[in-house]
Amino acid sequence: MTTIDSPLAADEGTQETSPQMAAPETRRNAVVSFMTAALSFLLVAVPSTLGGLFFLDPILRKKNAASPGNAGGAVAAKKDSEGFIRLDVSASSVPADGTPVAVTIRDDIEDAWNRFVDVPVGSIWLRKNPDGGLVAFNSVCPHLGCSVNFRRSENDFFCPCHTSAFSLDGKKTNDIPPRNMDGLAVVTRTDGKEDPAGTEIWVRFQNFRRTTAEQIPL
Amino acid sequence: MNALLNWLDNRTGYKALMHEALYERVPGGARWRYVWGSTLVFTFVLQMITGLMLWTAYSPSTRTAWESVFYIQHEMYLGNVIRGIHHFAAQAMVVLMAIHLVQVVIDGAYRAPREINFWLGIVLMMIVLGLSLTGYLLPWDQKGYYATQVTTNIMSATPGVGQQVQLLAQGGPEYGHLTLTRFFAMHAGLLPGLLIAFLALHIAAFRRQGLTVHDPKHAPDTTFWPDQVLRDAVVCLAVLAVVLLLAIFKGAELSAPADPAVKFDAARPEWYFLFLFRFLKFHSVEALGVAFGAIIVPGILMGILTLMPLTAKALGSFGHTLNKAFIWLMAIGITVLTVMAFYEDANNPSHLAALAEAHRDAERARELASGPSKIPLEGAVSLLRNDPFTQGPRLFAQHCSSCHRYNGHDGRGTVVTEMTGEGENKKSSVALATATDLGGFGRREWMKAVVVDYPAHFSAVKNAGWYKAAKAKVAAGEEVTFLDPESSEMADWSGDSAALKSPENAENVKAIVEFLAAEAGHSGVEIDSALAEKGRSVAVDGTWEGAIAGTSCAGCHSSIGSDFTPIADDAADGYPTLAKYASEAWLKDFIRHPDAKRHYGSKNQMPSYAPEQLTDTDLDLLVRWLTGNYTKTAVADYPSLITQSAAPEKAAAEPAAATP
Repeated sequence: MTTIDSPLAADEGTQETSPQMAAPETRRNAVVSFMTAALSFLLVAVPSTLGGLFFLDPILRKKNAASPGNAGGAVAAKKDSEGFIRLDVSASSVPADGTPVAVTIRDDIEDAWNRFVDVPVGSIWLRKNPDGGLVAFNSVCPHLGCSVNFRRSENDFFCPCHTSAFSLDGKKTNDIPPRNMDGLAVVTRTDGKEDPAGTEIWVRFQNFRRTTAEQIPL
Repeated sequence: MNALLNWLDNRTGYKALMHEALYERVPGGARWRYVWGSTLVFTFVLQMITGLMLWTAYSPSTRTAWESVFYIQHEMYLGNVIRGIHHFAAQAMVVLMAIHLVQVVIDGAYRAPREINFWLGIVLMMIVLGLSLTGYLLPWDQKGYYATQVTTNIMSATPGVGQQVQLLAQGGPEYGHLTLTRFFAMHAGLLPGLLIAFLALHIAAFRRQGLTVHDPKHAPDTTFWPDQVLRDAVVCLAVLAVVLLLAIFKGAELSAPADPAVKFDAARPEWYFLFLFRFLKFHSVEALGVAFGAIIVPGILMGILTLMPLTAKALGSFGHTLNKAFIWLMAIGITVLTVMAFYEDANNPSHLAALAEAHRDAERARELASGPSKIPLEGAVSLLRNDPFTQGPRLFAQHCSSCHRYNGHDGRGTVVTEMTGEGENKKSSVALATATDLGGFGRREWMKAVVVDYPAHFSAVKNAGWYKAAKAKVAAGEEVTFLDPESSEMADWSGDSAALKSPENAENVKAIVEFLAAEAGHSGVEIDSALAEKGRSVAVDGTWEGAIAGTSCAGCHSSIGSDFTPIADDAADGYPTLAKYASEAWLKDFIRHPDAKRHYGSKNQMPSYAPEQLTDTDLDLLVRWLTGNYTKTAVADYPSLITQSAAPEKAAAEPAAATP
């Protein structure tokens, strides 16, 4: 158990091994070097790969086929199997002159380990056509995701972030947004059954990818 | 390529750097005994990689910590492996650190000029222990919560500054959101930062002073690369393999969500702190106070360790011998205490019961959190709080088990004991039930026993003091009204077993049992409705064969077959109400008013549970547990403790024999 304190010379540590010592073992050294390099690579590669795969979870994991419908809760009575959600406002409360109204959409949200029941998930613009039919737009701007406002002075839709503008029927009126406002399927019903004269408003609320000319659901 | 590398070298000098890093001289040749420092660096890198990955999904707050760890462990891609590696590599690090330390002391590598580096190593050891301590709390499960409570309470016992230190660590007087955010900042920020800084100094000093060579004539001198690196890599790979195998096949534990209101008797520190835990349990140590055993003694030991370089300098080779003796004694002491702790726990029935309950709760929490409604905003802890399968056994043990049993145990899988004897002869023995076992209550077997085996089925009451007293009075010729399973109208009827058990009534017994099980309506009991209908006519109209033909339940229990309503005393028939007997509605009313005339009336011996004793919520949980009305589970229930030899009738007949 003797201990040799090596001399305190930093340069000693960097001294190359003498050629006499290394020369006969060059081939062995090459093999050892290769093996060492391979093992060292493995040591770094295994945990890094596992970690990388874990990080790719949002892409790699198959979602537990969560039904778009509902798993019970307060929203159950307000959402049908096709994803139509019943609004709190009635058809008669939407102005007949075509002025849009903003309506908050409530739904259940699954967020990782949580399930939030009956919470606001977004908002829509709802207005009446001259013929009395309803149209609904997602209020998110298809440009970069800001909120589109109703501009009373111009009687149009307008996004304050990057000045996207749309007519009241959702058509873009300048070249800033890549597409028209995102229209949503909307029907009127009575006691849950389709009825053009009904006062219940049911909307299929969806969000879409921003920036694309095409409308792609998220 | 070469030109490019030369250009790079010209600008950065990387070649000299690489050369210095890789071609350190190894006098006496590469040896396996030099690998331990490298394995520690490797495990630390492993912790950085997996820790950073866990960070991408972990959410430190009391309502999201367990939840996010659950999500990592059971939902995310390779999440169990990443968490498992982090969990077991942390333990590997402690083991490797111990080996490293013992080797340094034995080889005398702490002596001049390496004193500073030795002290740097001790600082690193403290940081690693700090990391393991802070990391243990982060999942916010029962195990981590209660083990860490002990640690922070020990901290608070530090003379002088204890309270302040505890406040700072916890972020307040009690555990809460801030405890987690602060522990997390320490675990993932401060401590790793310090560790990297001190590790850099440690390695720089090591490089400056060179290896502590064990035997310079062992082999020709060589260089760090590739000979020593190969050995290091092989051992690191072995460490990685062990950690991976444990991560995949054993897996990191996640016990039930932390609940300050639920006792956790299975609390233990991580195994490498068990020696300290066991040391603190010695009565002589306990008597001297927490600060003595948990702070002063470890402080003195750490002091001796830290002073080793000076001891050796002052006392020469005798000092070194002394130091070696100390490290061996420490190693032996820690090993002995650790083995003792494990051995005692493995042979301690109450610890094993606590472990079984912890395991059951953990499984159940996982099951509920995986359900379609996921985890509510109040956090996973509310899943267990509102779960009859979890709370029922606890409520039963608390309120019912002094008289009743559940499959022979107290509801939580434990034998009920009582202290008997006086003074010197005082000892703990198995307590006899004084009321019916409620395992399988209201289900077919249980109801069948009521019908065909009434005297035996209710024989546990014969162990009760009130029964013996009443019997004595009867023997003395007094007139007493009491519940006697041996002699009553029901006992006479059910005791007429020849007719009941005759083959011609076999189908009728089956039918009436089906009917009674249907009336109880417990979840998970599939009812043959045709058979139950036949049973209804047997019960209500007495369509028996033979000697008992015409005797119906309804003849006494007039409400049988109807819906349960709490009949007022003046309208009661004087017999226990069998309307929806053992159903939720019946059971709730019975527990609140067992002494009502519609139940046992003047014969009742069971205490009435008013809302002051058993809240509506608790009553609901208890009743739903007894009737099986809860989210279906695959978690194994506590095993039944009923054995043939301890069958109720025998225990009643020979009470002395059943008492060990």
